[in-house]
Amino acid sequence: MANINYRCPCCRKISPDTHDLARHYLGQTDKKHKDWLKTKGLSYAQLITWQVTEFGNKGYEALAKVLEKEATKVEI
Amino acid sequence: MSEYSIIGKPTRNVDGPAKVSGEAIYTFDMVLPNMLYGKLLRSPYPHAKIISIDTSEAEKLQGVKAVITGKDTPGGKYGLWRRFPELCDQTALAMDKVRFIGDPVAAVAAVTAEIAERALDLINVEYEILPAVFEPLEAIKDDAPLLHDDISNNINITRHVEWGDVDEAFKNSDYVREDRFIYGSQATASTEVHNSLASYDKGTGRLTVWSSTQSPYYLQLGLADALKMREGDIRVIKPHVGGGFGGKNSTMPDSVNAALLSMKTGMPVKIVYNREEEFTCTEHRTAMNLAVKMGFKKDGTIMAKEFKLITDGGAYTALGPTALYLTGTYATFPYNIPSYRYDGVRTYNNKMWSTSVRSFGATEAQYATEIQLDRAAHDLGISPIEIRRKNAMTPGYEAPGQYKVGSCGLLECIDKVEKRIKEKWTDLSKDEGVGFTTFAYMCGGIFNWIDTPYAFSGAMIKVNIDGTVDLFTQASDIGQGTNTVNVMICAEELGIGIEDIRLHPADTATTPVDLGAWASRETMMNGNAVKDAARNVKEKLIEIARMKLGENIVYDLEAKNKRIYLAIRPERGFSYYDIVKDAIKLNDGEPIIGVGHYTPHRKGMVSPAWAFGSMAVRVKVDREIGHVEVKDVIVAHDCGQPINPLGVRGQVEGSVHLGLGWGLCEEQPTDNGMVLNPSFADYKIIRTRDMPQIELHEVLTHEPEGPFGAKESAEGAVGPTAPAIANAIFHITGAEFSSNTLKPEKVWRAIREAEEKAKKPAKR
Repeated sequence: MANINYRCPCCRKISPDTHDLARHYLGQTDKKHKDWLKTKGLSYAQLITWQVTEFGNKGYEALAKVLEKEATKVEI
Repeated sequence: MSEYSIIGKPTRNVDGPAKVSGEAIYTFDMVLPNMLYGKLLRSPYPHAKIISIDTSEAEKLQGVKAVITGKDTPGGKYGLWRRFPELCDQTALAMDKVRFIGDPVAAVAAVTAEIAERALDLINVEYEILPAVFEPLEAIKDDAPLLHDDISNNINITRHVEWGDVDEAFKNSDYVREDRFIYGSQATASTEVHNSLASYDKGTGRLTVWSSTQSPYYLQLGLADALKMREGDIRVIKPHVGGGFGGKNSTMPDSVNAALLSMKTGMPVKIVYNREEEFTCTEHRTAMNLAVKMGFKKDGTIMAKEFKLITDGGAYTALGPTALYLTGTYATFPYNIPSYRYDGVRTYNNKMWSTSVRSFGATEAQYATEIQLDRAAHDLGISPIEIRRKNAMTPGYEAPGQYKVGSCGLLECIDKVEKRIKEKWTDLSKDEGVGFTTFAYMCGGIFNWIDTPYAFSGAMIKVNIDGTVDLFTQASDIGQGTNTVNVMICAEELGIGIEDIRLHPADTATTPVDLGAWASRETMMNGNAVKDAARNVKEKLIEIARMKLGENIVYDLEAKNKRIYLAIRPERGFSYYDIVKDAIKLNDGEPIIGVGHYTPHRKGMVSPAWAFGSMAVRVKVDREIGHVEVKDVIVAHDCGQPINPLGVRGQVEGSVHLGLGWGLCEEQPTDNGMVLNPSFADYKIIRTRDMPQIELHEVLTHEPEGPFGAKESAEGAVGPTAPAIANAIFHITGAEFSSNTLKPEKVWRAIREAEEKAKKPAKR
């Protein structure tokens, strides 16, 4: 049975879930990844600050919600 | 009786006589014929665009031989994280803008240092001052000034590690606590300042650099990248080094600019930093903000841990990301953490860049962990020793996807220190208390950010007709005793004496690559390479001996005490020296050569092995003025099989010294990017007479990965020192700390706060 995976909107990275994709995404420091966030009303600075100052995965969770809607789903 | 002839015997340093008699040559001492003296002009601003540089007046000054600026350099970018080109962000001199106070903008070579200094005053630089940012979290903001145009939000590197179900584990915990900590930076304060001597041969196009470095190989690569030259055309020689402590791993402007000035003049050029440059423009321990959350069962069992970290990176990358990486790793040591989440970020800002100072990552992570553990133990009604014993790592422990522990004598170390506390400290006064901590440290790093295609360590041995041995290794002795350890390992493996070996260390033209002295790697990695090379030679000699004895292959031969003989009948054998003669004659007159190497494999992502230990400090607090006196220290230490117990003792004492400094008095406050205490008059380090007695116990284990079972001993004991002091003060006074550098004023305030808190009725 095929599994649903998610493709990063800015590069070729494919992740098994949006949480993992968010983790990939915030590890990228290039302009392309950061600019895409702006088009979705998100701030890279805010997401990173949440992730490194607050307990839990707040930064990843906020981004994962958006990626759930925006990332292309790939069957593997 | 020990199975070894040399290993485990207290041995004086092989280079000790030269050092104590003043005969040892450091780069600092070197003078070559026609040598020029170089000086660097540094930026007075933390962030500014360079509009123009006028060097004409400086060039006219009599005695000045060359003046260079960024436009005179090849413009090659360099850095230690060569696997990631975007992290190679340094150039020899500022090209278009300066990014911290002290960023070099021009370099001068003159016939005397004084003339070079005067010439700096004649260089006119026009700057356009730019907005600057100094705090890591401010630097991330969208409207913060950018240090590097292609790096938005000034984010240098991020890291996330997670295993287990962290959120579920916290839900299932009986007790959860959160604490936040802030640490300042610490200078390396090496006796020998950064200095390099470069000599370029215009005829051959080859460059030789002598430098006070921790890694000749890293410097060779850095110079090749900066100067756009081939590695093989650059020879780096490391003479004796007067301390490094992590601050001499990177390629620094002294080396690159001495090389550039030598290339321009065709004469040798030497650049020596002054002490102020040493404090303001060399690498220092990374300052950090961190938050820690731990969940426990009622009996003290750790259920989960969460660790959040922001590191103060400064203007460039260098080795700083490794501190981010390792702090998150050490936050899990030396305890069984079933569920763990780590997030970290290193940001650029307009200060001198930070790096990996001795015990990097461990000191910072352990301070938070060990303090939090004592507070948790207090709240749960468990003794500080018992909570550690309950959660201690044991042999074979594995952190999923991260690292594996081989040998581990932690429980024995805890038992030993506990026993000695009970026996020794029976007379504590009301102002005295005991702080207890545990620790672990790596034996070199597995990571290959430098992207070397070579083995991590190599060694080469040549045996001469009279049995003397020439040992060639690039291992960097920076005062920690690596030269002695390598000679001892070579002698033990070959069954000869230390006096039979001549060491040829740390010259990239004559020795196989070694990655240098960092992360306590030399004993494990270069020691293994030396042992491998010696084994290679030994096998050749044993074959000759076997042939002469006429014994078949099932009989084992041993090389020991300068003889090679049948293991089951030691009387049947030959002198080592006679076998060497026969071996060379039978080998068509060629000397016997052995090569060896070591690169860790299948040992996880961090380190091939881990040393462990525990520590207790006896502390006296003056409640009226906040003065803290560390009276006595007990350390139990599992470094596997100690190679040189005398060296181990020296390293543990040095580690405690550095830990006391970080914990009690060393700090580098800044104002708008300027270091406020750039001299030993204002920067306080622990002096000899301030040192407590240190009682050291070696807990013997055998590490299968280490040479003769050895592990590290050079850094581990830094980390537990400061939290042990903080814990002792907590037990004496109730004072809690969320930062290091426990100066009297800070301690006094914390005691007053604890007293106020004690007066308030407990909340129901």
